[in-house]
Amino acid sequence: MAKLALQTIEEESRRDEGNEFLSFSLAGESYAVPLASVLEIVVPPPLTEVPRAPKAILGVASVRGRLLTVVDLRVVLGVEGESPPNKGRLLLGRGPEDELMAARVDEVDQVLRLPDDQVEQVALGLGADSTEVVRGIGRPGHSSSIVLLDLGAALSRGTR
Amino acid sequence: MTDYGEKGGEDFLGEAQEIVESFSRSLLGIDSAFKKGRTDPELVNEAFRAIHTLKGLAGIFSAVELGQLAHKLEDLLGEVRLGRTVLGPELLDVLFAAIDVMQGFIGASKSGDTPRDEAALAAISAAIDGVIRGGAKTSNEDYGVDPAIWSVLTEYEEHRLRTNLAAGLSLYRVRSQFDLMTIDQEIEALKDRARQLGEVITYLPTGEVTDRDVLELDLILATGVPEAEVQAALSNPARQIMKIPTVSRGAMQPAAPVTGTPLSAALAPESVGTRPVASDLHFERPGTRVEMKASVRAVRVDIRKLDYLMNGLGEMAILKSSLEALAVRIRANIDSKARRDLARLLHAFDRRLGDMQEGILEMRMVPLSQVFDRLARGVRQTSRELSRDVRLVVTGAETEIDKLLVEELGDPLLHMLRNAIDHGIEALDERARVQKPQTGTIALNAYQKGNHVVIEVEDDGRGIDTARLVQKAVELGSLSTSEADQLSHGEALALMFLPGLSTKSGITELSGRGVGMDVVKTNISRIGGVIDVHSELGIGTKITITLPVTLAIVRALLVRVGSQVFAVPFASVAEVLILETRPRIVEGKEVLSLRGTTLALCRLSQLLRIEGNPSSGKKFVVVAQVGERRLGLVVDEIFGQKDVVIKALGRSLAKVKGFSGATEFDDQRVGLVLDVAAIVEEVWSSTESRTKALSYG
Repeated sequence: MAKLALQTIEEESRRDEGNEFLSFSLAGESYAVPLASVLEIVVPPPLTEVPRAPKAILGVASVRGRLLTVVDLRVVLGVEGESPPNKGRLLLGRGPEDELMAARVDEVDQVLRLPDDQVEQVALGLGADSTEVVRGIGRPGHSSSIVLLDLGAALSRGTR
Repeated sequence: MTDYGEKGGEDFLGEAQEIVESFSRSLLGIDSAFKKGRTDPELVNEAFRAIHTLKGLAGIFSAVELGQLAHKLEDLLGEVRLGRTVLGPELLDVLFAAIDVMQGFIGASKSGDTPRDEAALAAISAAIDGVIRGGAKTSNEDYGVDPAIWSVLTEYEEHRLRTNLAAGLSLYRVRSQFDLMTIDQEIEALKDRARQLGEVITYLPTGEVTDRDVLELDLILATGVPEAEVQAALSNPARQIMKIPTVSRGAMQPAAPVTGTPLSAALAPESVGTRPVASDLHFERPGTRVEMKASVRAVRVDIRKLDYLMNGLGEMAILKSSLEALAVRIRANIDSKARRDLARLLHAFDRRLGDMQEGILEMRMVPLSQVFDRLARGVRQTSRELSRDVRLVVTGAETEIDKLLVEELGDPLLHMLRNAIDHGIEALDERARVQKPQTGTIALNAYQKGNHVVIEVEDDGRGIDTARLVQKAVELGSLSTSEADQLSHGEALALMFLPGLSTKSGITELSGRGVGMDVVKTNISRIGGVIDVHSELGIGTKITITLPVTLAIVRALLVRVGSQVFAVPFASVAEVLILETRPRIVEGKEVLSLRGTTLALCRLSQLLRIEGNPSSGKKFVVVAQVGERRLGLVVDEIFGQKDVVIKALGRSLAKVKGFSGATEFDDQRVGLVLDVAAIVEEVWSSTESRTKALSYG
């Protein structure tokens, strides 16, 4: 019985892969990135600041012996507000030139399945600056909306 | 299983590359001997053997074009060996050109391209045919040597004997007995001795000794050394040395009577008959055996695998530190014996780990000759293209350095050498006018200095005209006129590293080919090196590169600046001081007097913009030395030294200057490794820093 349920879930997830998003919160707002672009979610190891690095680079950290550049998504997105200290997660993804990098977020929420009719392509008026990072707006369920980001683009932007 | 095939292919390319490089080394030797008016038959043989091996290798891996070219070259070198084709500058040019073609083939196979191999092959083949055609006649002069000797010589040996006799040398027969158990080594030893006197034409068994454990050989030696010296050098109770009568061409005597006896008999004072010893002893020709030994002892390893091992070791070192910390924590709770045992184990572990790190580091080390040989070829080519008479003198090619660094060094050094020929060494008429020797000399020196390798390129050319350099920099707007007036000689010279600055009006094909000295400098800095220039107008120029021996593990000094801990590679630390006196201010910069010299200071907290905790207490000065430049780095605290495994920062941080990498400390925290060379450079080149001239030298 349990086995059967598991199979069903697997099948379902395979079917919906293209529409799966990982949602997370950042300075009180909700965002999501395509689940397939997140290689791993890790508890942040101690972070070392890199002097004179671009503002969006929080520093470097070692994840199982690999040295990663950590990007602060708040700076990339230009959102104000405090992040709760001693919390947060790192989303590992591919940045420019396929480099393995990490984006720091406040809290990882859940995996969302968004059928195509619940995704609005990027709207004008969000500011030209964020067009490449923002992929669209998701409207899961009825009223709430969530900003859909491109993780790779966000990481690239952070290194500029 | 395709994996296996690919691997085989990679190995083949690596080996082919090595053979081509060894071939190139032999050619350079032949070339330099030729310039002194000599032909070194041993080098010709080496080149011949290398090409022969390459031909076989190409056959196995069906590298058709490479195989065909090797075959052609083998023919050509065969002709040269036998004296049928005479060595000359054109022939050498063709051989050097062939190296480039072969490397093109190998490079193309590596990258998987299929360029127009056939066209290149056809062109070089035609060139080879061109030089073979100018063949020379073979003389039949016998110099009064017993025809029995001539009759047993191979064509090659015959040619060598004739060449030596034509040069008026004497011929000796050295008859020795060898124990079959040790014959290999003893023959080699004898040949080595004999080669110091002259050329070994051949050696053959006499077949006269009946003891089955002993073999008697006759070695025929051609030499110009007086007989007494030959006797003295080779004399041994088990040896007889006899001079073989010869007649010089000038005083031709009737030839010795034709006896028809075999060589052994003809050479023997009292002949006792012969038996074919050689065939049942598997007597080996020299050379082949030595090469096989070398190839069996070496293993070719991908450098990434070494890096992997190195990382593993780094992690083991971290584990070890954790174990040590644990040991400290439980020390109170265990009895004294267990405590001692634990300490002993940890100590032993530490030592083994150190040994292994050293071992792996050593595996990464290769001699600089790997790149120097290629450079020598570049120098030869450039000097021919520009019709400059240039001699390259190389010292210290055996100095070892990290494989990765060697690969990064080739292009910058080649550019520097080309510059030396193109801009440094004067044309012939100009050299005559300033009474310099006709042949210009470029010295390429390497030596190790502590944890650094120093490479110098020095020429005896016209030197760098700093006045024109400054003028050019002002024209380009990189410098204001008032700034220009204040430049020291050293600072003016450093202008040559500015982008777009080339002093020679009229760009030649060579210098127009690509990079300037600014790129050279960037490339050298990228691998942690520093460039210094010295030049005197009319006398010459010397450019010095100082590089770390290796990049992977370094001993570092841990320092604190604000709340951050940095690793400073020990290799660039000259000394550490406590900052007791208030620094003096000279032209807006802090300096310190240090044993009579002035040391410029740089507060790392300011340079790196690190806030917080300016700590009231005393500060420390880490005196960094890179090349000839010194700079005092002011830090808040010093924690001592530590071996650190350096990992590269991501490309995403490539634009951030001042750090050569990062390392993991024991508590999983990452520490940045200061790029001392870049920091010194940054401070020196900051325009307002007028004090730098003070600490020069």
